[in-house]
Amino acid sequence: MNSEIKVIKQIAPTDLVLICGLPGAAYIGKLSIDYLVQQLKAEPIGEIYSRFFPPYVIIKEDGLVELMRNELHYVRDATGKDIVFLSGSAQAFSPEGQYEITEKVLDWAIEKGLKRVYSVAALVTDRDFEAPNVFATATSTPLLEEAKSHGAQVLDHGIIGGENGLIMGLARKKGIDGICLLAETHGYQTPTGEYVIDPRASKAALNVLTQFLGIKVDMELMDKQVAQMDEAIAKMAEIERRVRDEMTQSGKRPSYVT
Amino acid sequence: MQNEDVWIKRYQIPTLKNPVAIVGSPGLRSIGKLVVDNLVDQTKATLVADLYSTHLPSIYETQPSYAAHPSMPGEAGAVVESGKVDLPKVQFYASAEFSVIFVRGYHPNFEGQYLVAQNVVDFLAEMGVQRMVVVAGFGTKDKKIVCAANNPKSIEDMKTRFDVGLGYKGPFMGFSGLVFGMAKLRGIEAVCLFAGTEPVEENLEFPDAEASGRAVELLNRMLSLKK
Repeated sequence: MNSEIKVIKQIAPTDLVLICGLPGAAYIGKLSIDYLVQQLKAEPIGEIYSRFFPPYVIIKEDGLVELMRNELHYVRDATGKDIVFLSGSAQAFSPEGQYEITEKVLDWAIEKGLKRVYSVAALVTDRDFEAPNVFATATSTPLLEEAKSHGAQVLDHGIIGGENGLIMGLARKKGIDGICLLAETHGYQTPTGEYVIDPRASKAALNVLTQFLGIKVDMELMDKQVAQMDEAIAKMAEIERRVRDEMTQSGKRPSYVT
Repeated sequence: MQNEDVWIKRYQIPTLKNPVAIVGSPGLRSIGKLVVDNLVDQTKATLVADLYSTHLPSIYETQPSYAAHPSMPGEAGAVVESGKVDLPKVQFYASAEFSVIFVRGYHPNFEGQYLVAQNVVDFLAEMGVQRMVVVAGFGTKDKKIVCAANNPKSIEDMKTRFDVGLGYKGPFMGFSGLVFGMAKLRGIEAVCLFAGTEPVEENLEFPDAEASGRAVELLNRMLSLKK
């Protein structure tokens, strides 16, 4: 096995749209796509396994073991549009693997009549902002104009690392329309280097994406996640402020400084 | 699937009826490997195959060996045992009497993790294996055994028949983890027994005979491996 798509259910779409959100900075892509899958009740139709995923398994809360994998979910929305969502627990760890998996999924979707690809990713910034802006890049000027009409700004230049970006480059190579939406985030990380999820950024990206798709999605659960995350970040900021105050008032130095 | 990176030498393979595979490797405190070694002796199982791979290093650059890293492939070389030299290998033993296949694992480097695990699972499927028990350790002060599985029924069975519940969640690295994970892709029902062991920080592979003894005792009850 290099990489394989294990098809769970065959589909026969007419005009297929593929939406990709794999785990990356602040989990914005994954969080957005998992949310749409849940809200639109998309059904699982495929699993992707690859030797390029990180080499370990996860034992879940319920005791079941799971290989690292990507998943394909499918829904035909109320307007008759066929949508396949690509998400999962990991991205391939090497460029070779990222190319292989992304190309495999794109080729599979093209065979099914793919017309357009969207991906959702993060734009990590130090800039202060009230609400995260959403930037867009696309494979053609008319698509960028469409993105602007849905409230996105055009990303003038930059790099989109990982499969959420690669899928755009490969879509262009294969002559498929593609739009990547990048939501601003500070990209906070835990002390062990893991990204903290940013539901506020995901919500901003979803706001643009759902306009593109012409669908309405209940955002109540996402709003709850935003509130929980705001609370957690406020607590962390308060702890940081207290430590800083104690240090400056008493002339103490943190214990790890020797 | 087999390619030039992995090759299997097959010896005398007995006919086995619905064989169960027991898998262990030198993971946390070598519990899995000790269990396999002990049960191979106990059941007088014979060597039926060796699996070799260009991804099995003789010297690891990572500590412990199962913490594979993409930029630390290790060094190829030979292994000498009882005066005989051979390449690093995964070994398969079988007991026709108990219809069991034992897999003594060996940790591949980062590049070969999936490839080796897949070849192991494919070989077991070729031998007719439909059930697998993986044995490993998990860090705790409690001297207990907990389980995980690739299907809900096996978890339920372990609870009702052997009073073994859940207790570990999180990542499972190395040879045994991936073999456990890939079993489902070949239609093999798999359970993993995690024997609690107190990690020795200086050497995470320092053998824990007591914990492996607990696992052997449980496996004897589960699979009736004693006459």
